Amino acid sequence: MELIGQAYDWLLTGAVILLAVLIICSVVRSVLGPRIADRIIAVNMVGTMIIMIIAILSVYLEENYLVDICLIYAMISFLGVVVLCKVYTGVYLQKKRMHANMRAIEENLRHQQKDGGQQAMAEDQRMDER
Amino acid sequence: MFWQWCRFGLAAVFLLIGIAFMILAVFGVNRLKRALDRMHAAALGDTLGILFVFLGLILMRGFSFDSLKLFLVILFFWMASPVSGHMISRLEAMTDEELGEIRIIRRDGQGKKDQTDKRDKKEAQRDEDI
Repeated sequence: MELIGQAYDWLLTGAVILLAVLIICSVVRSVLGPRIADRIIAVNMVGTMIIMIIAILSVYLEENYLVDICLIYAMISFLGVVVLCKVYTGVYLQKKRMHANMRAIEENLRHQQKDGGQQAMAEDQRMDER
Repeated sequence: MFWQWCRFGLAAVFLLIGIAFMILAVFGVNRLKRALDRMHAAALGDTLGILFVFLGLILMRGFSFDSLKLFLVILFFWMASPVSGHMISRLEAMTDEELGEIRIIRRDGQGKKDQTDKRDKKEAQRDEDI
C-alpha cells in the first residue's frame, strides 16, 4: 500500500514538472509571436496547461475544492480569449476607418486642386481671346 | 492489490498520452510558420490533451462527485475551445492582409529550405515600376 502511494506521488509530480516546462516553452512563443493572434493562441494554451496542473494538484493533495477552481479558471480563460478577440477586431477596424478617412480627404483635395486648375486655365483662355 | 496496480497503470498511460499530446501541441506552436497553422496545432492540445489527462485523473479518483466535476470540465472545454478557436481565426483572417498569398517552399542549391515567393513578388513590382 505504501508503494502504490509513492508511485502515484512520483507520477503526479513528474506530470506537473513536465507541464511547467511546456508552459515556459509556450510563453516563449507568446513573447516572440509576430502577430497578435499568435500571442492569443499561446496565452490560451498556457491557460489550458494551468487548468491541467490545478486538476492534477487536486488529486495530489486530495482537496475537492480545487476542481471547482479549475472549472472557474476554464470559464474565465474562455471569456478572456473572446474579449481579447473582440477588442483587437475593434482596434483594427477603427484604424482602418481612420486611414480610409484620411485617404478620402486627400483625394478630395486633389480633385479640388485639379478642378481649380482647369477653371484657371479656362479663364486664361478667355483672357487671351479678348 | 493487483487491480489497484492495474488501475494505476491505466491512469498513468492516459496521463502520459495527454501530456504527449500537449508536447506535440507546444512543438507545433513553436515550429510552424503562420498563425493559422499554429492554431491548428494548438487545438490538438485543447481537445485531446485535456481529454486524456482528465480521463487519467478520473480513473485515479474513482467513482465520486469529484470525477463528475472533472468530466464537467472536459465537457465545458469541448464546448468552449472550438468557439474560441473560431474567434481567433476570424481575427486573423480579418487583420492579415497577406493571407491570400501562396507560400512556395523551395530547396536551393545552397541548402536554404524556406524561401517564400515574396522576393519574386518584390522583383515583379520593381519591373512594373520601371
